[in-house]
Amino acid sequence: MTTRRQSHYLADLLVIGYGNTLRRDDGVGPRVAEAIEEKKLPRVWTLSLPQLAPEHGECLSRVKVVIFVDAAIDVGEVRLRSLKPATSSRVTTHAVSAPTVLAIAREYFDRAPRAWMLTIPGSDFSFGEELSPVASKAVDKAVAKIVEFVSPSKKR
Amino acid sequence: MCGVDCTPGINATKDSDWSITMSNRIVIDPVTRIEGHAKISVHLDDNGTVTDAEFHVVEFRGFEKFCEGRPYTEMPGITQRICGICPVSHMLASAKAGDAIMAVSIPPAADKLRRLINLGQLVQSHALSFFHLSAPDFILGWDSPPEKRNVFGLIESDADLARAGIRLRQFGQEIIWLLGGKRIHPAWAVAGGVRSALTPEAREQILAKLPEAFATARTALDLFKRALPGLAREIKMFGNFQSLFMGLVAEDGTWEHHGGKLRFADSTGEIIADEIEPRDYLEVISESVHPSSYLKSPYYKPLGFPDGSYRVGPLARLNICERMGVPQADAELANFRTFGHGAVTSSFLYHYARLIEILAGLEYIERLVADPDMHSTELRADAGINSLRGVGASEAPRGTLFHDYTVDANGLLKKVNLIVATGQNNLAMNRTVAQIARHFVKDNEITEPMLNRIEHGIRCFDPCLSCSTHAAGRMALHVQLIGPDGTVLNEASRD
Repeated sequence: MTTRRQSHYLADLLVIGYGNTLRRDDGVGPRVAEAIEEKKLPRVWTLSLPQLAPEHGECLSRVKVVIFVDAAIDVGEVRLRSLKPATSSRVTTHAVSAPTVLAIAREYFDRAPRAWMLTIPGSDFSFGEELSPVASKAVDKAVAKIVEFVSPSKKR
Repeated sequence: MCGVDCTPGINATKDSDWSITMSNRIVIDPVTRIEGHAKISVHLDDNGTVTDAEFHVVEFRGFEKFCEGRPYTEMPGITQRICGICPVSHMLASAKAGDAIMAVSIPPAADKLRRLINLGQLVQSHALSFFHLSAPDFILGWDSPPEKRNVFGLIESDADLARAGIRLRQFGQEIIWLLGGKRIHPAWAVAGGVRSALTPEAREQILAKLPEAFATARTALDLFKRALPGLAREIKMFGNFQSLFMGLVAEDGTWEHHGGKLRFADSTGEIIADEIEPRDYLEVISESVHPSSYLKSPYYKPLGFPDGSYRVGPLARLNICERMGVPQADAELANFRTFGHGAVTSSFLYHYARLIEILAGLEYIERLVADPDMHSTELRADAGINSLRGVGASEAPRGTLFHDYTVDANGLLKKVNLIVATGQNNLAMNRTVAQIARHFVKDNEITEPMLNRIEHGIRCFDPCLSCSTHAAGRMALHVQLIGPDGTVLNEASRD
């Protein structure tokens, strides 16, 4: 997990990339989070995780906006869509879903940020660290989308 | 995405889908609130009586092959990426295997620091298992609506308890973070020792939070013990059977979580094998691979398969040890043992064992952080390759974890064998599901109460299957209906 600029009140935006980095395209989320981290965007916080867990709800409660970044097998392109906290059902494992961790932020820590899910097409989930050409190409697009998202001209 | 808790709009699943097949096999898919993906098959005879059950694990064993050819020194960093749930356990077992390849005794301070991080892992994992996964069932009621029988229902019912549970989890995570620098995948333990000590500031941080952690552990224990009289049926039917128990114990028989030697005890509490060096595990453990699961099912070799099946984890650790070695947990251990004759055989009491281990973990953490060695600068032994094989064993929250490496003269891995706790409990989970199903399956009918209890039966073991992929949209659920002659009668995938 990587973090930066921790403070009592955190950043405007938290980018959480999650997935198994030993299962090729499953690790595309962390790759995007790391690429965003390298850009040192102002008031942007990043987390690279193997999976989401309940305690990440606390991080979420301390930011204004969160973008979850994950691989997907049923999308053809990089896709950004809004996300709502889960309702009271579908909880919980040691690993939890993005809507669930949002709900935990709201219920346990009193506040859930506005949330978005950025899904990235993946095609190869076998053992290995290299991304497939499809996912590799999508990383740049995903990073561009996030940079565009935080640009001052964008109102969210 | 996680295994069974899906992103809405992509592949949301029902809480417990099920079907009765033409071959009298009931398939429940998936089991909610466990790691990864799994399905359960319950086999019935012509009279509709349960004959057997299988907990199928959709997991892959390719990590062992993936690691071949890499330097053994990289393994603590690589293997902890196998699992986002218990990375510390893999890191420690891997570092110990590296110690063995170097044939070194690590500095005492490094051993104590490794113990501290392992206790942090144990506390955080057990806290989540109890407060978030299991407590809702017996606090809110087995037959309360599924949409309420979860952590959010627990918040409605007892917000203070729910929040205390998550803070206890955070306490354990914080210890990992303070030592490893990262909460997940800390490349901190290495062959020969550890990279850094505990800072005085970190020590104060841990000490400041210990009182609340103790209070939460005591509250949970009191709550569970108050509930126990009403749980007699569950204690009787949730995986209550004779088996062996295996784990590490200290030289004097005290509870262990990182060092020590292997011990096997039977259901009467009799020790049947003791003082086995972890490096000699192959002399007492063989592995069976069942075609329905990718998990290896280890068994005690002298008794053969399946008679030699054994359980690992909190229940086993408490059954094989002579004492916890710390006062509060020892008092609880005495009460725990009143639930058995020799050994405690009900898998439902994994929950109780988990809570006692949280308490013991906190007591040991309190001792360790007071030790001056925590701030030592003697943290790492250095050596070349002095053995072409190294075995590391450590107690993960779910049970004994083995890393067995064979290297060439340059330290590159030629062979890797990993034995994880969930695999060792696989046979016991099958028996648990079958036992519960026998109480509830009547006339091929499946009821919600039966489904709730079978799910909980699996959760008693807190299995972790998170080494599978977690890509959004990938549910990897595939159901096959197979007739008595092996014919696939029907099959379905959920995506």
